[in-house]
Amino acid sequence: MPHISFQDVTKKFGKSTVIHGFSAEIEDGEFLVLLGPSGCGKSKMLRVIAGLADMSSGAIEFDGTVINGLEPKERKIAFVFQSYALYPHMSVYDNIAFPLIMDRFKSWYHVPIINSIARRIIRNTAEVKTKVMEVAQMLELEPMLSRRPRTLSGGQRQRVAVARALVRDPDLYLLDEPLSNLDAKLRTQMRSEITDLYKKVKKSFIYVTHDQVEAMTMATKMIVMNDGEIRQIGTPDEVYHSPADTFVAKFIGSPPMNIVEVTASGTGADLPNGEKIALGGKAPKTGAVLLGVRPEHVRVVDANKGVSAVVESVENLGAESILSLTFGAPKGSAEGKGSKILAKVGGSSIARAGDTVGIEFEPGTFRWFDADSQSALN
Amino acid sequence: MKKIRKVVAILASRLVLVGFLLVSAFPIYWMFNTSLASDAELFGTGQDFAPHLERVGEVPQKLEDVGILGLLANSAFIATGVTVLSFLLAVMAAYALSRFKFHGKGLSGFVLFSTQMMPEALLVVPLFALFATFGLLNSLTGLVLANTAFSMPVAVFIIKTAIDKIPYEIEESARVDGCSPAGQLGMIVVPLVLPSLAAAAVINFFDGWNEFLFANTFIRQQELWPASVGLAQFMGQYSTPLSTVMAAALLFTLPAIVFFLLVQRQIVSGLTAGAVKG
Repeated sequence: MPHISFQDVTKKFGKSTVIHGFSAEIEDGEFLVLLGPSGCGKSKMLRVIAGLADMSSGAIEFDGTVINGLEPKERKIAFVFQSYALYPHMSVYDNIAFPLIMDRFKSWYHVPIINSIARRIIRNTAEVKTKVMEVAQMLELEPMLSRRPRTLSGGQRQRVAVARALVRDPDLYLLDEPLSNLDAKLRTQMRSEITDLYKKVKKSFIYVTHDQVEAMTMATKMIVMNDGEIRQIGTPDEVYHSPADTFVAKFIGSPPMNIVEVTASGTGADLPNGEKIALGGKAPKTGAVLLGVRPEHVRVVDANKGVSAVVESVENLGAESILSLTFGAPKGSAEGKGSKILAKVGGSSIARAGDTVGIEFEPGTFRWFDADSQSALN
Repeated sequence: MKKIRKVVAILASRLVLVGFLLVSAFPIYWMFNTSLASDAELFGTGQDFAPHLERVGEVPQKLEDVGILGLLANSAFIATGVTVLSFLLAVMAAYALSRFKFHGKGLSGFVLFSTQMMPEALLVVPLFALFATFGLLNSLTGLVLANTAFSMPVAVFIIKTAIDKIPYEIEESARVDGCSPAGQLGMIVVPLVLPSLAAAAVINFFDGWNEFLFANTFIRQQELWPASVGLAQFMGQYSTPLSTVMAAALLFTLPAIVFFLLVQRQIVSGLTAGAVKG
């Protein structure tokens, strides 16, 4: 279980830079999730960590030793690919045993005929058999050890891929969107299986996903990336409640955080129509700022209370409802103008589209952002 | 009504297939028939449509007289040599062209392909001079080399196309598991492209087996003739032992058919199914 240190890791393709100065410290035994939208460089970063892709500059250290240039095998890592990458011509047993066979493989075993004899002998050794059976038992793969990957379901293939990673007993597990090809039900099941596995093996995991639910539920630490840059490093709670900038605020959370342009003055925030949002505290800065508030911290009240808003639409999700509201439009402006805001309310909403209601914000739940840099102020 | 229509459709398609089979198989049947005909029938009264099976016993003697076994052995040497050499070179070349980035990759592909643009006859004279310099005239090894040069590029393109279809993650996965590049080729890629290897082997084997032009030009010693050249030499200016030629020709086609049957099991698709998502 290495302490991992990323020092200004940069990856370029020709003139375009896909990873900009990635620097972070990852403690032993962390479940780190690299989260970001498609094309943000998270999978590329994972391949750099694995040694499957070279970095253009920077360094990665495992326990203080620079591992740049080491072959994947020498890094003591295991990699679970998004597409499973099972060996289709081998049985499940041979797929799982393959890393163990390679550990015992000598260069002269490459000679045809000797190769197949050597592999057969190694796969049948008691040590390999015991390890494969242990892992197969752990992942409930015993009944399908003699089957080929093409006869397995998506979830079973995924388990074989995890088993192949597990059998090597690596120091670090790298998982590249391993659940993205599964249906919603299976994804939920596999999510908890991977979390259980993490607790059982007590090793470091680096997990790439664009799914914030996976990130929030599995991670002990998250790195949110966009355009090849780190936007925030923190625990799921920190990232959710204290986003570092408006990108993270909008990326994390479903529905995302509301960002409203206001003019802060003392203990209030002025809207363009002259109404004032009571802050219950002091804004970190006066003047034009961005006010961030999560939809669950927006309360819908009677029209004569709080800030006046018009309900644009209501999404009834059963246990809760999402209201889309417009507020703060200057008098005389066209219908629908003003700030848009989403509110999450429990149960079915009694408000209907077109209703005028009042909205209030829970004090102490605000996140302030600089209007120019978009970075958090508090 | 629907059922009748379906039955008629099946019958019609079977009838067409039988028709094709008859047209394709007739030359082979006629070859067999001719091999059992007498000279009097062939050059006088005309050949009967039904074969004279009572003359089968005479065929081995006729073939022995023309030394068919030696001719077939030479053909087998050339065909096997071309197949093995092409296989070894083509697999490595195809893997390199499919997976590695290197300067001149496009040019290498073009040069390989350009060998197919030139007719073999055009190269007979320069090759003769080259082979004379290297002492490869009157040598079966020389014929193996010459034919490999023409057959191997075809195998390269067949195998490269198959390798291109293998998701690169499978090899990366093997790399993470500690497999060397040679191991990735031998243990992962080659088993996955077996159908294409078999197809390439069939083409290369037939190229070597049917070799005529270079053998006819470069081989002067009769004992080194492959069967194709040997058969052609039976045609005399004044007489041609047609039944013997046909018997030898029939025997000449058999090894190629046997080789095809041996490898056709490998020519199946869908071997990579289940490797990746889906």
